[in-house]
Amino acid sequence: MVIDTLKCVGCSDCVVACQTENDVPIGYCRDWITERVDGSYPNLELELRSERCNHCDNAPCVRCCPTGASHIVDGGVVMVTEDECIGCGACIESCPYDARYQHPDGYVDKCTFCHHRLEKGQLPACVSVCPTKCMYFGDLDNPNSEVSQLLKNRKYKTLAPEAGTNPHVFYLI
Amino acid sequence: MQEELFTSGRNIPHIDPSLEIWHWPISLYLFLGGLSAGLLFFAALFYILGKDKEYPTTVKIASIVPPIALSIGLLALVYDLTHKLYTWQLYMTFRIESPMSWGAWVLLIVTPISFIWTFSYYREIYPRWEQKLQVFKRFKFLNAVEKFAQDNRIYMAYALIPLTLVLGIYTGILLSAFNARPLWNNAILGPLFLVSGLSTGAAAIILLSKNKLEKHTFGKIDLALIIVELALIVHMIMGYYAGSQVQLEAMELLVNGEFTLMFFGFVVILGLIIPAIMELIELIGFKVPAVVPALLVLLGGLVFRFVMVEAGQITRFLY
Repeated sequence: MVIDTLKCVGCSDCVVACQTENDVPIGYCRDWITERVDGSYPNLELELRSERCNHCDNAPCVRCCPTGASHIVDGGVVMVTEDECIGCGACIESCPYDARYQHPDGYVDKCTFCHHRLEKGQLPACVSVCPTKCMYFGDLDNPNSEVSQLLKNRKYKTLAPEAGTNPHVFYLI
Repeated sequence: MQEELFTSGRNIPHIDPSLEIWHWPISLYLFLGGLSAGLLFFAALFYILGKDKEYPTTVKIASIVPPIALSIGLLALVYDLTHKLYTWQLYMTFRIESPMSWGAWVLLIVTPISFIWTFSYYREIYPRWEQKLQVFKRFKFLNAVEKFAQDNRIYMAYALIPLTLVLGIYTGILLSAFNARPLWNNAILGPLFLVSGLSTGAAAIILLSKNKLEKHTFGKIDLALIIVELALIVHMIMGYYAGSQVQLEAMELLVNGEFTLMFFGFVVILGLIIPAIMELIELIGFKVPAVVPALLVLLGGLVFRFVMVEAGQITRFLY
C-alpha cells in the first residue's frame, strides 16, 4: 500500500469505511489518522497520514505468536485466525506500530488489507473511499503496477524502519 | 532549528489506554516461575550429587513450593488470556521462534514432574498429614505410583536440570523477544531472569531450612548469585547507554524516571546489595538472622518482575 501524505487531508473517511466494512466494534479501529507538526513558528510543516498494520515482511507479531494464529498469507498480508488466537497479547507487545488490539470477543484483531475484498478483486475499503485518492493499493512485485511506479518516481518513507520489520505501507513525502 | 512540535495520538478510547495489556498476573507468574525453576534446579542438582541426606530442605521439604507456585502461576497466566477457551491451541503446535510456545511446552512437562517429585517424598516428609488423611489406605494404587516415582527420581532429576534452566531463561526471553518494547529488547534479560530466579530459589531454601549446614551453603550460593545478578544489571544498563535513542529513552525510566525509586531502591539496594552485605557478614562469622536477607531477596525478585513488566510496556518506538 502506498499513501501520499501530500494529498491526505485527514478526513478520516478511511477509518469510518474500515469500521463499517469490517464490523469493527464501537470504540475500536483498525486504521487511524496521525497528524504531525514539525518546525518552529512560523516555519511549520504539517504531515497527515493514515496509519494501519504495515503487513511487515519480518513481522514480529508472527514470530512471537505461540499458536500460529498470526500468519502471513500468500501475497504478504498478515492475518489472524480467530479460532487459534488465545488472546495472550504477545503480538500486541511486539508490534512497533501498535496496530493490534484485543477484540471484545477475546481474540486479537487488526487490519487485513480487507482480504475478503481482495479475493473478489476489489480494493481495500479505505482505499476505495478515499476522497482525495491519496491511497494506492497494488502488487509491489509487479514493476509496472501503479504502486511500484509511484515508489520509483517519488520520494517515500516507511514508519520506524529501525525496528527492522520491513514494513509494506509506504508514505510518499 | 527543526523541532517536532506535536504528533497526534490516536485517541481511541478502547485501544490506547489498554495497550498495556500485560497486568499483574504476568509479573506474578514470572516471579513464581523463576522461583520454581530455582527450587527445582537446586533439588535436582543436590539429588544428583547424592546430598539429599545433608540437604533435606533443598531436595525434599522445599519441593512442596514449586507445584503450588506453578499452579498459581499457570492460573494467573490463563486469567490474563482474553480468549481463554482456546488455551488448548497452545498445544496444537510448537513454534520454535516464539518464546511463549517454548514456555508453554516446558511448563507442560515441568509442572507434572514437580508434582510427582513432591509426591515421592510425601509420606517421608509429612507423616502426620498421612495419618490424618489416610490417602494411601483409601487409594491403594497410590502405593504403586509412589514406588514408580521413587524409583525414577534420578531420571526426573536429570530431566529437571535442563528443563528448569529453560524455564528460568524463558521468563526473560519472553520479554526480550519483543521488537517494539526497547526496555525489554536486550539479550541480557534471559540470563538476568534466570539468575534472579535461582537467587530467589536459594533464598526460599534458606527461609524454610532448619539445618545450619544447609543455611550456610545456600547463603554462599545466594551471595554468588546476587553478585552475578548485580553484574548483569550493570551490563544491562551499559547496553542501554550504548543503544539507540529508543533504548536511551527506555533507560531513563529506570535511571532517572518514574521507576527509579522502585528499581534502585527496592530491587538493587533493598533486594540485592543489603542482603548481599548481610550474607557476607554472616559468612565472616557474625550472627545475622538469615530470614531477613532471604525475605529481602524474595521481595526484590518480585518487585523486579513488576518493574520490568510495567516499565517495559511504557517504552515504544516513536515515529
